Amino acid sequence: MIATSGIVFRLAWRNLWRNYRRTAIILAAIAAGIWAMIFMIAFTRGMIESMVSDGIRSIPGHVQIHHPDFRNDPTVDNLMSRPGGELAASLDGKDVAAWSSRVRVPAVISSERGSRGVTLVGIDPVAETSISFVADDVVEGRHLEDDRDRGLVLGRRLLERLESDVGKRVVVMTQGADNDIVDRGFRVVGVYESEIASTEEAFAFAGRATLQELLGIGDRVSEIAVLGTDRREAEQLYLRLADTAGADVEVLPWYELNSYLGATMRTMDGFVIVWIVVIFLALSFGFVNTLVMAVFERVREIGLMMALGMKPRTIVAQIVAESILLLAIGLAAGNVLAWATIYSLSDGIDFSFVGEGLEIMGAASVLKPSLGIGDVLLSTAIVLGLGFLASLSPAIRASRYQPVEALTKE
Amino acid sequence: MRPITILLAATIALTAFQAAASENARDIVKAAIDQWRGFSSRGVITMKIHRPDWERTMTLRSWTRGNDESLVRVIKPRRDAGNATLAKKGSMWTYSPKVNRVIKIPSSMMNRNWMGSDFSNKEISRSDDIVDQYDHKLMETRRSRGHEVYVIQSIPHEEAAVVWGREVLKIRDDNIVLEHSFYDQDGAHVKSLLTQAIGKSGGRTIAIRQRMSKVEVEDEWTEIRVDEMEFDIKLRDTLFTLSNLQNPRE
Repeated sequence: MIATSGIVFRLAWRNLWRNYRRTAIILAAIAAGIWAMIFMIAFTRGMIESMVSDGIRSIPGHVQIHHPDFRNDPTVDNLMSRPGGELAASLDGKDVAAWSSRVRVPAVISSERGSRGVTLVGIDPVAETSISFVADDVVEGRHLEDDRDRGLVLGRRLLERLESDVGKRVVVMTQGADNDIVDRGFRVVGVYESEIASTEEAFAFAGRATLQELLGIGDRVSEIAVLGTDRREAEQLYLRLADTAGADVEVLPWYELNSYLGATMRTMDGFVIVWIVVIFLALSFGFVNTLVMAVFERVREIGLMMALGMKPRTIVAQIVAESILLLAIGLAAGNVLAWATIYSLSDGIDFSFVGEGLEIMGAASVLKPSLGIGDVLLSTAIVLGLGFLASLSPAIRASRYQPVEALTKE
Repeated sequence: MRPITILLAATIALTAFQAAASENARDIVKAAIDQWRGFSSRGVITMKIHRPDWERTMTLRSWTRGNDESLVRVIKPRRDAGNATLAKKGSMWTYSPKVNRVIKIPSSMMNRNWMGSDFSNKEISRSDDIVDQYDHKLMETRRSRGHEVYVIQSIPHEEAAVVWGREVLKIRDDNIVLEHSFYDQDGAHVKSLLTQAIGKSGGRTIAIRQRMSKVEVEDEWTEIRVDEMEFDIKLRDTLFTLSNLQNPRE
């Protein structure tokens, strides 16, 4: 048996290089197909990764806790008390990387020359550091120092629209606890920049305690943002928190807080398989054709081998081995090519010329292809599997020749 | 006296003088605001909004009491007649007979202009912020046409809800504001409220015609003319209520 498979393999290998030109062409086709497949997957993954991680940073967090009516009516009427007891204990769990309570209200910010509606977020800058984007993205001035900081951090674009600047005062106006208008002057202490320009206009940040004082809401907050240790384990974290949070609050994971983002993520895995199969189908016509030609050319030779006592099963094995070898070499070349391309683009591809379109989808304008080992294994497995099936038909046909007829064939 | 004592005495005297000056400046501003609003008032005002390509004139009836209650109703032109605004303790409501609804002006609209004029809703609803939310300083005293004119610079407190860097008021010794200028935080002049005519109405000398204009935009202004005015009259308590806003009884 071992001797047979040795012979089968050697025959397959030699047959492959008998017509090296044909083999080289089909190899190039396979390698190019695999390269396109892996590169496109990595590219799409990169786009989705950046969408999801930016999305989670602007949600922010993997899980959020709100008053049940807050998401429908995000005003000071729908607040909750800061976590205590069981919830506070479960927020200190091992799977929680960081959590922060925030106050979030719609507000109007005005300067001498303009006024704009924003979402004003009162944060605890220390707890917030790893959760949302502000801390790393303050490009001018300083970030808020603690939750009692009297300053305001605005986005670059908002500041431009207001024709204001760091160090200047602006007026914040919003609805206070008993529906009265409350307003106060704030000094702009810092500016942040975001890869997504619309974010810069949408969010303004102030100290949590400062905002609570302005609104007259005591120690109550609008939301609790929880960042888990791993995005992929968000569901377990969500279930655990929902268990301990009690019935008077609403606990939601990121993929429901931003359901577009969640749906995109779920579609992605299905999309990868569809993509691989589509490319392979295009590839398989050339592939099967090559094998069929190789069989036709060798009808006499196959007849001779059968006449010498080679079993039909061994004939099948030999042709299948030949096609698997062909695919394996193609896969290896394609993978190396894809890795090389992705590696050379690891700084990201600048798509700022179509940046506005990408922003609508929530993706940044610089995309970094991201290659998962799972995707590579999946595409290799699918290509080998389908290749095996495709090569069966010419192989079986070859094994059914009658030795006498085959030998006399011109 | 030793030199150091002289210096100390001088410093104390100077500080005392400055405090007095600042107190004085605040009093001048307060007196001017009180003169303008009075204890209560009732009158008819004509507002002219001018833009390069159009102009419109509205006649308004107004009632005020104290510093935080006011009601304004449009009399002319006909199609706007009945539109009314009630301001009370910093909040503001409007009523339009066409939709027969009272609408509370949300905070997001407080910076929008009032009835298309160069005044914001906020400027209409709050008049006395200028007294307490600013540091006032008397810059100089001029003589002009037989009157003393005080030039006062008012700088808003750090956390006052004021966007301006500073405001300069020119107030005549009979408590009439001649000019109220607004400067941004870089010191650029943005807009001014100028008194163009002074006259007697309701037994007081007041600014009869004032014009608000933006410095950076040419040919855009809003003029307010007092047609008749009564001061310190007794007004019914029900006047400044939402129900009176919707169903006027006076």
